[in-house]
Amino acid sequence: MDVLAGLIQTAFLAGGVLALAALGEVLAERVGVVNLGVEGLIALGAVTGIATVLATLSPVLGLLAALLVGFLFGMVFALATVVVRANQVLCGLALTLIGTGLAATVGKAYSGMPAPATFGPVSIPGLSDLPFVGRALFSHNVLVYVIYIVLPLFLHWLMFRTRHGLNMRAVGENPAAADAAGIPVMAFRFWYTAIGSAMAAGAGAYLTLAFVPSWSEGVVAGRGWIAVALVIFAGFRPLSAVAAALMFGFVTALGFVGQARNWPVAASILSMLPYLGTIALIIVPVLAFQRMRRIMAAPAGLSLPFFRDLR
Amino acid sequence: MMGWRLQRLPSAKPRLAFLARAVSVILALLVAGLVTAAAGFHPFDLGAEVVSSSFGSRFGIEDLGLLLTPLIYTGLAVAVGLRIGAWNIGAEGQFNIGAFCAAGVALFVPGPVWMVLPLMVFGGALGGAAWILVPTLARAYADVSELITTLLLNFVALLLVYYVATGPWLDPSGHALATTARLPVAIPEFWGIVHWGFPVAVAMAMALAILFALTRWGYEIRISGSNPGAARYAGIPVRRHLITVMLMSGAIAGLGGVMEVAGTVGRLQGGISNNYGYLGIMVAVLARAAPLGVLASALLMAVILNGGIILQTQGLTTNTVLAVTGLILLFSAIGDELAHYRVIRTTAQRA
Repeated sequence: MDVLAGLIQTAFLAGGVLALAALGEVLAERVGVVNLGVEGLIALGAVTGIATVLATLSPVLGLLAALLVGFLFGMVFALATVVVRANQVLCGLALTLIGTGLAATVGKAYSGMPAPATFGPVSIPGLSDLPFVGRALFSHNVLVYVIYIVLPLFLHWLMFRTRHGLNMRAVGENPAAADAAGIPVMAFRFWYTAIGSAMAAGAGAYLTLAFVPSWSEGVVAGRGWIAVALVIFAGFRPLSAVAAALMFGFVTALGFVGQARNWPVAASILSMLPYLGTIALIIVPVLAFQRMRRIMAAPAGLSLPFFRDLR
Repeated sequence: MMGWRLQRLPSAKPRLAFLARAVSVILALLVAGLVTAAAGFHPFDLGAEVVSSSFGSRFGIEDLGLLLTPLIYTGLAVAVGLRIGAWNIGAEGQFNIGAFCAAGVALFVPGPVWMVLPLMVFGGALGGAAWILVPTLARAYADVSELITTLLLNFVALLLVYYVATGPWLDPSGHALATTARLPVAIPEFWGIVHWGFPVAVAMAMALAILFALTRWGYEIRISGSNPGAARYAGIPVRRHLITVMLMSGAIAGLGGVMEVAGTVGRLQGGISNNYGYLGIMVAVLARAAPLGVLASALLMAVILNGGIILQTQGLTTNTVLAVTGLILLFSAIGDELAHYRVIRTTAQRA
């Protein structure tokens, strides 16, 4: 029982990185921009977070600094893809290379240092002391509640219950029609891509300030790419994206438990599970549920640059 | 009143596109220079050191040849995929698997060299193709983007190589940590320490160039890539071509792994791919997916990569090189788009 509670606790903790990064990607893709730079942004956020905390001893400042760095790099990416309208795949790969390389270069000085201050678990009076669920659900750091409850509900409301959200989705589905209706297509794409990038970098800060919590080269380990894949699997919906991230947190946690309990499987083999799982997740549903394709489809204008005069 | 206006052309002029490439490389190096200068280095001294150590001596040129070889293979792998509009971001993984298969054959198949060596080459190419099989079929039959599936398999391949190199295939002599024993069979040397993998790569680039430029097959691939709908209408078997080309792409990357493990490194170890797969994307994009262009852009990348290795003593790392290549890629993408524009004169009558 205790093992199971620990497993669920770790699943929430591990899935948080994926959930936050995936939510950011949902925003960008819903307005029609594929951001493949998530992996690099997470790395940048992770290093920024740990560097700031080592200097200021404040995890909140660390998170804010990471968000800011992500926002700035996101603006550069949006400048290239939305304003200049360069190829989104190339720019995204470039951002991943820049982010990963830069983070590893800067991060060498902080490699292996444990974060001196982290987002620790907060106890909720009454709930945290409950048996089982207390440990599994109510003894997390504050970011977990924000990432799993506050943010997805807010984004769901924003995207599906407001006029602003309708405009967002219109920009992603049919930018020409949105433009004709007077929606500022470029502004929507630019700012939501930048905000999504900030969230990816925030996921990096979460990684080094709440989950691992230290920086080392390769600590991101493809989480950015898994997050991009989860968005596809979740049909570009915030609530489903968070649920999928939690499922992946569970797979990761299972690997940890396996290592801790000396299962007769090598650690490297267990570490393959999340990647193989992701591949299965994006291939199998397409084959199994042909009818779901339309509901789960990507925004029609995804990755296509919008030229007003070529309408 | 006379005015000026920007007009976007449907396709960029080749000469302008080439110019945009050159400018983006220079700009990216300039930005990298400024950043290193801001970090307290002297970019011109560093640049001079890189050039003199790369080209100043025969050893330098041989080292460069060793770096160039894998970049040609991975560059060709990505370029071949791009020809039909497929993004093989998984060259890194296929390279690892190629090395894995070649090492497996060399370590466990007894026999004379003339028999084992071709088996290694064949096994590595087959392994690379097998590694891209699932993403290929998913793209061809279920329209699942190959971008993410090929990429995620990179992590699996890296973990697999790391696992066998530290576990079941670990050097039994106990002298080496985290690598297999020295492979009993090696790719013979061609010039100095540069092995036969290099001329084979160059020959392959030429063969591919001819294949794409002069054969019906190459023509059909190009049409399938630029307009699948029209190709299908014209009776071109687009799906079959897609599958063939993607498997070919994987096989070429796998071959690169064979040459690296059996020619350059001599042992299978974790991280043997050294980001060559990711740098191959750069090489292919800079070459605009032209096989002969790959030779030139691979040389450029090899010099940059070599620069990173030389400058390690100065406190820079290969990761810095990765960031610089990312910068080149970003500028190239922007330059590509800007090359679509031309400035035209507008006359007064319109107003």
